[in-house]
Amino acid sequence: MSQEDTSRRRFLQAAGSATAAVALAGCTGDGDSTEGTMTTSAGGTSGDGDTPDTETETTERPEPETRDGYLQRANRHVHEQAPWVFLNRQYSVYGQSEDIDWQPRTDERVSAYAIEPATDSGDDVVMTQSQMDSGLDPQDHRETPTDNIVLQAYEGLLQRDREGAIVQKLATDYERLDETTVQFTVRDNVSFHSGDSLTPEDVAFSINRIVDPEVGIESPQTDQLIGVDGAEVASTDDRTVNVNLTGLNPIVFASFATYCDIMNKSWVESNDDAYINQNMEGTGPFVLSNYEQGVEVEFQRNNDYWDDEAAISTFTINSASESSTRVNRLLSDETDIAVNVPPQEVSRVEENDGTSISAVPSTRILFNAMRYDVEPFSSPEFRQAVNYAVDLDSIVENVLQTFGDPTGQPTLEGFFGYNEDLDPYPQDLDQAEQLVEDSGHAGVEIELVTPIGRYLRDVEIAQAVANQVDQLPNVSASARQVEFQTLVSQVTTGNIEDKPPWYLLGWGNATFDAIQTIQPLLSSDGALTSYENDELDSLLEEAQSLPSESN
Amino acid sequence: MGYGRFLLKRGVQGVGVVWGVVTVVFILRFITPGSPVDTVAPLDASQATRERIAADLGLNQPFYIQYLDYLAGLLRGDMGYSYISSIPASTQVFTKLPATLELAVAASVVAIVISIPLGVISATRRHQPADYGATTFSLLGISTPNFWLGIMLVLVFSVEFNVFPTSGRAFGFMDSMRAITGPEPFFGVLTAWLASLFLPAITLGTYFTALITRLVRSGMLDELSEGYVRATRAKGLPETLVRYKHVLRNTLVPVVTVLGLQLGTLIGGAVITEAVFAWPGLGTEIIRAINARDWPILQGSLIVIGTGFVLLNIAVDALYAYLDPRVVAE
Repeated sequence: MSQEDTSRRRFLQAAGSATAAVALAGCTGDGDSTEGTMTTSAGGTSGDGDTPDTETETTERPEPETRDGYLQRANRHVHEQAPWVFLNRQYSVYGQSEDIDWQPRTDERVSAYAIEPATDSGDDVVMTQSQMDSGLDPQDHRETPTDNIVLQAYEGLLQRDREGAIVQKLATDYERLDETTVQFTVRDNVSFHSGDSLTPEDVAFSINRIVDPEVGIESPQTDQLIGVDGAEVASTDDRTVNVNLTGLNPIVFASFATYCDIMNKSWVESNDDAYINQNMEGTGPFVLSNYEQGVEVEFQRNNDYWDDEAAISTFTINSASESSTRVNRLLSDETDIAVNVPPQEVSRVEENDGTSISAVPSTRILFNAMRYDVEPFSSPEFRQAVNYAVDLDSIVENVLQTFGDPTGQPTLEGFFGYNEDLDPYPQDLDQAEQLVEDSGHAGVEIELVTPIGRYLRDVEIAQAVANQVDQLPNVSASARQVEFQTLVSQVTTGNIEDKPPWYLLGWGNATFDAIQTIQPLLSSDGALTSYENDELDSLLEEAQSLPSESN
Repeated sequence: MGYGRFLLKRGVQGVGVVWGVVTVVFILRFITPGSPVDTVAPLDASQATRERIAADLGLNQPFYIQYLDYLAGLLRGDMGYSYISSIPASTQVFTKLPATLELAVAASVVAIVISIPLGVISATRRHQPADYGATTFSLLGISTPNFWLGIMLVLVFSVEFNVFPTSGRAFGFMDSMRAITGPEPFFGVLTAWLASLFLPAITLGTYFTALITRLVRSGMLDELSEGYVRATRAKGLPETLVRYKHVLRNTLVPVVTVLGLQLGTLIGGAVITEAVFAWPGLGTEIIRAINARDWPILQGSLIVIGTGFVLLNIAVDALYAYLDPRVVAE
């Protein structure tokens, strides 16, 4: 991609030896986040999120010096230019039985390793989610239900803790060697479930299997490790693996903390795809004991686990696509965790003895994209007007029943690059009406396209937005429902012209880094972009030319 | 035309129909919006990644090559591989089929056991309270949506009284047969199997119960006005014998035909019931395949259901021809 080429060029031009050396030195270690100290260079602390500035004023701010600063500036740009109606951060809502002690994770993944029995019947834990896996190959899928299943048995080099910080897993150390090479040290004394020892060859093979189509499969995770060129064993004696990058790639460790499960090379090479998708050979705390495709997966505790053994003996995952069926199972004590309890079912779970609700802010943001290249959305004033017309608090309160947070920028709170000076747009109908007049598009009719049932209460949210915008005397708005796949086929063609002018979409970003949202969705060469702006592009390029302060 | 030739002719026609099903399903795949690549690739995948995945799935080939490849595969018993899980489609479809067949048969049994006595009572006590009760029941049964009935049954019998499991299929028919000789307690497996089957079977069977009750009632009323009934009564046969030996028997001929053909409808129509009860059958599999654009699975499932319909039709035809030689002569 041209973006990486540019990053590399920028890095060589701008980073400079001294800055780069200092910054790179800060890239090793245990993943402690230092983002909190970087906010001074965010480009202004005026706290003016309520009154968007014009572009000229934005450029008058002092130049950021850090990657965090550039990303915060990018978020400010997006907030002010409003290519989206900023909606809400979604919550993951679970129903949970009193038989277990468990806290949900921010990244929507459920690890049975974190579950402890609270009563005698909590030793054998059952979880019901909305759908089963799409096969057990950890590198040949990309969605949360499958993640939840494979992560019980497979592990990556790095991982995230409950709050999202990076921790070591199968790597005991990780560092940048130079601008295009990072090195992982592979943990010793780890064995796969079959008894084979984990070797650096397995690690290099697993990385290459994702990024190199010549190795095994066409992995849909290629783009999750974007900028990774390949891996090779550096030295088997000290167990190191070198990963070659196509550019600086500031989020490489963040990517490895979320993606790239390590598989047993010889096991993968001696079995076909169908077998690999129905069996597991990982290093994780649970061993697959029974697999009924599309029905149920059963795990048993791995008694030879390299770390502390899991607290529970068995973990079973099954599925029910109907949310009421999942809740009924929980209420009848047939399951211990019901994933995705919708707001209308929450009171049934809370009022029942022995069950409760656990909710956690997720990494998913919901927004309405407005295409920058078609009227009336080509006018920044009009886009701001739509934001002022929407009452986010009322949507969170009434549609999501408080299981959501209003947002005013594409990056969620707690992510690297989040700009804490930006507040969500307040509802201000007078200002909205005035901005519509200023934009010259008074009297226009607009239509919001929403998928059905893809995101929590998506249709209801879209209808609320359309109704609120429709209240403006000089705009009439309506919502139209389409099947999610229809919308996907329009937004993923790579052409802005193929997209509906105004549409609802959700975006999960498990890397906890602003770039993974802004780059694909709002930069000129983003795969899903609805917006093109040179200033934003250059802010992102600058950000990608600097190493991340957080890892 | 002899009976053998008649069967051969029906068989050839059946093959033609199945081929038609395969072709229609294959064409549907090309005119349906949304590419399987969209569900396999992440939303932000680059165009290059998309193209590689399309090539990997064989989707970059022209229509006729994909079609001929698929037909050739079917002749070898190969339905292709799931786009999503890489598991052979035939494995995935045929492991889901027993659960659906089981549910369809159980629903038919529920329908027969309830509807025939109800229809008889209704017809023989015409315009009496029992008749009104039965006709009201069948009206309700036909107009109650399946999914609503299912949810209500679960709320009452599973959540409130905890008599049956809420959903899922603990064991299957084959499991309970194996348990006769196996290490697991036979009675336990059998009751667990029947308990998980009970509510879905009632839910799916209610509509057909109502339908057949009406069929039996009207059929019986027609028969009761026939001349041979008067003759048997005049002969002095007891009324019970008249009703159950002669009249009911004649009424059941069309009922059995309807039941035979409805079994196919039950297999195809179990989709909603399976979703409510998280029943791991073909219906659940079809919904999943539609959402994921997993065409090999969808095609495989539809071909299996279509072939099932054709076989049932041929069986009914053959039975008719055997019973009534005039059919062959035509």
